[in-house]
Amino acid sequence: MLVSLNWLKEFVDIKMSPYDFGEALTMSGTKVETLTVVSENVANILTGKITKIEPHPNADKLTVCTVDMGADERVIVTAAKNVFEGAIVSVAVDGAVLANGTKIGTNDFRGLLSHGMFCSIEELGMNTDLFSKEIMEGILILPENTPLGMDARELLWLNDVIIDVELTANRSDCQSIIGIAREASATLDLPMAGVTTYDTVESTNQIADYLSVRIEDPACPRYVAKMLKVKKIEASPLWMQIKLQNSGVRPINNIVDVTNYVMLELGQPLHAFDYDSLQSQEIVVKTTTNKKIVTLDDKERDIDETMLMITNGKVPVAIAGVMGGENSEITEKTSLIVLESANFNKGSVRLTAKKLGLRTEASSRFEKGVDPELAGMAALRATQLLLEIGACEVIEGLIDVYPSVASLKKVNLDINWFNTFVGISLTIDEIAKMLTRLFFNVEKSSDYVLEVEVPSYRLDIDLKEDLAEEVVRIFGYDMIPGTIMGGETMVGGKTPVQKFEDALKNILVGQGYYETLTSSFTSEKRLHGLNSQLDENLVPLINPLGEENSIMRHTLIGHQLEVISLNYNRKNPFGRFFELSNTYRKNTKSGELPIEEQKLAISSYGGEDYFELKGVVELLLEQSGIKYPDFIAGGSDFLHPGRKAEIFVDGIILGEIGEIHPVVVKNYELPKRCYICQLSFKALFDCSSLDNKFTDLPKFPASNRDLAILLKADIPAAAVETIIRKNSGDILESIDLFDVYTGAQIPDGYKSLAYALNFRHHGRTLNDNDINPVIEQILGELKRSFDAQLRE
Amino acid sequence: MELELKQLRDRCLADLNAVEELKTLDNVRIKYLGKKGELTIALKGMGKLSNEERPIIGKLANEIREEIENNISAQKHALEQKEIEAQIKEESIDVSLPGKKHQAGNLHPLTTTVNELKEIFLGMGFSIAEGPEIEWAKYNFDYLNVPQDHSARDLQDTFYYEDDIVLRTQTSPVQVRVMQEQKPPLRIISPGRVYRCDEIDATHSPVFHQMEGLVIDKGITMSDLKGTLDLFAKKLFGEQTKTKFRPHQFYFTEPSAEMDVTCFKCGGVGCKVCSNTGWIEILGCGMVHPNVLRFCGIDPDEYSGFAFGMGLDRITMIKYGINDLRLLFENDLRFLAQFK
Repeated sequence: MLVSLNWLKEFVDIKMSPYDFGEALTMSGTKVETLTVVSENVANILTGKITKIEPHPNADKLTVCTVDMGADERVIVTAAKNVFEGAIVSVAVDGAVLANGTKIGTNDFRGLLSHGMFCSIEELGMNTDLFSKEIMEGILILPENTPLGMDARELLWLNDVIIDVELTANRSDCQSIIGIAREASATLDLPMAGVTTYDTVESTNQIADYLSVRIEDPACPRYVAKMLKVKKIEASPLWMQIKLQNSGVRPINNIVDVTNYVMLELGQPLHAFDYDSLQSQEIVVKTTTNKKIVTLDDKERDIDETMLMITNGKVPVAIAGVMGGENSEITEKTSLIVLESANFNKGSVRLTAKKLGLRTEASSRFEKGVDPELAGMAALRATQLLLEIGACEVIEGLIDVYPSVASLKKVNLDINWFNTFVGISLTIDEIAKMLTRLFFNVEKSSDYVLEVEVPSYRLDIDLKEDLAEEVVRIFGYDMIPGTIMGGETMVGGKTPVQKFEDALKNILVGQGYYETLTSSFTSEKRLHGLNSQLDENLVPLINPLGEENSIMRHTLIGHQLEVISLNYNRKNPFGRFFELSNTYRKNTKSGELPIEEQKLAISSYGGEDYFELKGVVELLLEQSGIKYPDFIAGGSDFLHPGRKAEIFVDGIILGEIGEIHPVVVKNYELPKRCYICQLSFKALFDCSSLDNKFTDLPKFPASNRDLAILLKADIPAAAVETIIRKNSGDILESIDLFDVYTGAQIPDGYKSLAYALNFRHHGRTLNDNDINPVIEQILGELKRSFDAQLRE
Repeated sequence: MELELKQLRDRCLADLNAVEELKTLDNVRIKYLGKKGELTIALKGMGKLSNEERPIIGKLANEIREEIENNISAQKHALEQKEIEAQIKEESIDVSLPGKKHQAGNLHPLTTTVNELKEIFLGMGFSIAEGPEIEWAKYNFDYLNVPQDHSARDLQDTFYYEDDIVLRTQTSPVQVRVMQEQKPPLRIISPGRVYRCDEIDATHSPVFHQMEGLVIDKGITMSDLKGTLDLFAKKLFGEQTKTKFRPHQFYFTEPSAEMDVTCFKCGGVGCKVCSNTGWIEILGCGMVHPNVLRFCGIDPDEYSGFAFGMGLDRITMIKYGINDLRLLFENDLRFLAQFK
């Protein structure tokens, strides 16, 4: 919200620098984002009246103006077309500086000296967005009664500082000049001025002859209406226009400007209807079955029966709290106006504005909540201003439909509780004083309890904790000491699962893998690239950001492939990646949240093969204390059918590993060979055994035997190993497949597997009588199962 | 005989001197001292000597044997020396050649940041709590005191799976779960992934990360909140870091604050990183709202506590000077490999 510091100063006498003021406001809870001077550079631009305009003797496009500057007279040569005799303009005199920094002196224009120049609003540094094109392109013509020789910085508030404040959602009462002024007054401990409202004692209730108001929906807690006779619709006075401009609002005409002025000043949105266009003597606030309304911005809006409307009893004339209707708009012909100062329920306005996609200054204020008490005061303030600027005459009487007037809230504050809660020690008087600065009515109900009456506009104060914040923010958050927590000692620390997570990541990092971070979203389209049937337990979102992100992923595979693809296509020659992240699956039990499962994906491309990745996975398993994982051919369809395996431990599936299927390589634009493994983190943790126990070093020597076994090429080595283990009992210490050979001396379709077996007994030295029978048994079973032979 | 022995000695010493390789040295030893060696044979002839000559020759023979043995040993030593020198000479390498490459990867910078934050709080006795990312709306909003008609609940702001199930918009529901499931005293942090309907750009992402903290105990004060978070800031950004607490508003805390820290880059003077303010906004915090305590079955008259929350992506970006949030999610190796 933009706040004019000059306007604010009309309420609170702020003497400190704008910067210090901004800091003080921020530290008491009204965050100041930026401070901007309207026009930093402008200097020596004064007001002057053009008394005579003559043609330039040597140039058709130039005119020569004589200008009364109050103290003196000067000649200005200009090319401007919108100047006229009697016009009051701003004149950059010798030595003046324009908004863009240009210095102005006396210049020769085709043989005539010009002692300065006339200024446009852009040259003055004013907000060009808020003016019509005609005004923007010409010289700024000032009102007739403007004093001459006056500094434009003062007159046009070019020296004003615009404060951009960020308001928190609970402080709807700060959405106005007086709201911020109250904060300034409390923060700086300075008195605050009030506003003048129309307070003439009226003797008649003339308004009743014209209008009655009926509320038919509780979403309108209060409706105040005042009627006025229009004297003349014209531009509002300069001072009012400037305040609107410096608040970011475009001046329109005297009536509309007053409604906007009061909204900015007090925070109450107002609306003015053309009485004659209402074509009715009543205003009814209700929902309707009408389908359309044309709003003030000339747009036809689709409305429905959930939206609160201001009607003339038959058709809508305004969307309550959002925008007026074109059918009752103020025009140059308007002779009678109805000034609406009403209160609308924030939820109702929010939903209506949302449905319409129409957020206005009014709706955004109502959405945050407006104090119903404000409606009466705002109507009278607007009346005062309309009379003051000579726009209207009053029609006596006021309509105020206010079915249930809320009483003021009272909250008790126990100062002992307060001091303990905050960790400071203030006296009851100090606390009372701070609350009083914030316009709370405070009474001592005992030596240590304050009874605090909350102003109606403080919709955010309900509890003692709310009051505590009020006191503390005035006392100063920075004045609270920092202490170390007392209470019970807490051990804290990581759980075994959390430690396991760290350990896995560290192993992978040590092996040259980079951790990735990918989004949780995927889509049917993206999943189709994986050459697989869509999982039936996907978790789709109701309101995704586009098809690409419409489903919560149930696998990390797609995202890992996208990472590989990105890196490959950016010419990174190789890559090793991993990610430990959640995947999501529908819960088949109703009334339960979807299932979230952490998975570990490891992938690589460029100069690696299946066995490198498998080696890393084996290392991970070994480091997790998993002794004999089984890699059994098989796995998902995104993997190469001849190069994929599922990983089991004691019959429990951990995941799968393999080379990416050539079709998927094409779909994802991948390098020809990439490898991936995905494991269930939970299964991995469940299978892990991380208890390290010391075993005595062996006291007896080991016996080594090498076996070269000839067998059919399609028999998996793992099957051979299983047989070796099964037949060796507990004397087999280690097994190492050191050669896989095909070629010369090996028949076609066969291979030779060479194993080094290491036998050891912990109680004695093994001899041939121990080992030979074992070898026999192994060879026997290999022969029976696979027709395998010992290769001599 | 005496002459014979002396000649034998001279021959032997000459042979020894001629030996150039360690492996032929033993041949000399065998030739003279072996079982059939010349000296051994010569000594076998001693029996023929007279009783007078025998001790003299015997002594001489022993002296010669000793001399030969010493010479062999000296020569052996010399040859070994020579051999080592030759080996060393031959094996010398250009030590300035590059070493063999070993590849280490690294953690994602976000993880590194989270780890750092975790360590700080673990050291203060906190535990790490986790909870579902797809969460009941009541845990994400209602129990956190978010008003029923608040716009955060809108479809424009929050992803919905079902009418009452959302992608959590903050990690605070974990706090609710912990409060409901465990008894005070509580000290937890809950880092994790959260979601909001923001299109991705340089500073926004529909998927991002937060870490929240919660402390509940008897007698926890606002000054404890300040002290704890000030200590945290000093540990994260350095001893000289100062903190500033500004009043703010959150639904689940009252009073609430935002904490700024002095810019770690310029130390508070003002620079590009802190947009010339000298301060960087780092987290939101406050005293847990009594309604939230009550929703979670904790008596606010008996217990109090504080909570805080921070954006991990933002802190990571600040810490490493990363200028575009999208880089965190893109996983270009040239980016990832910068965070060893």
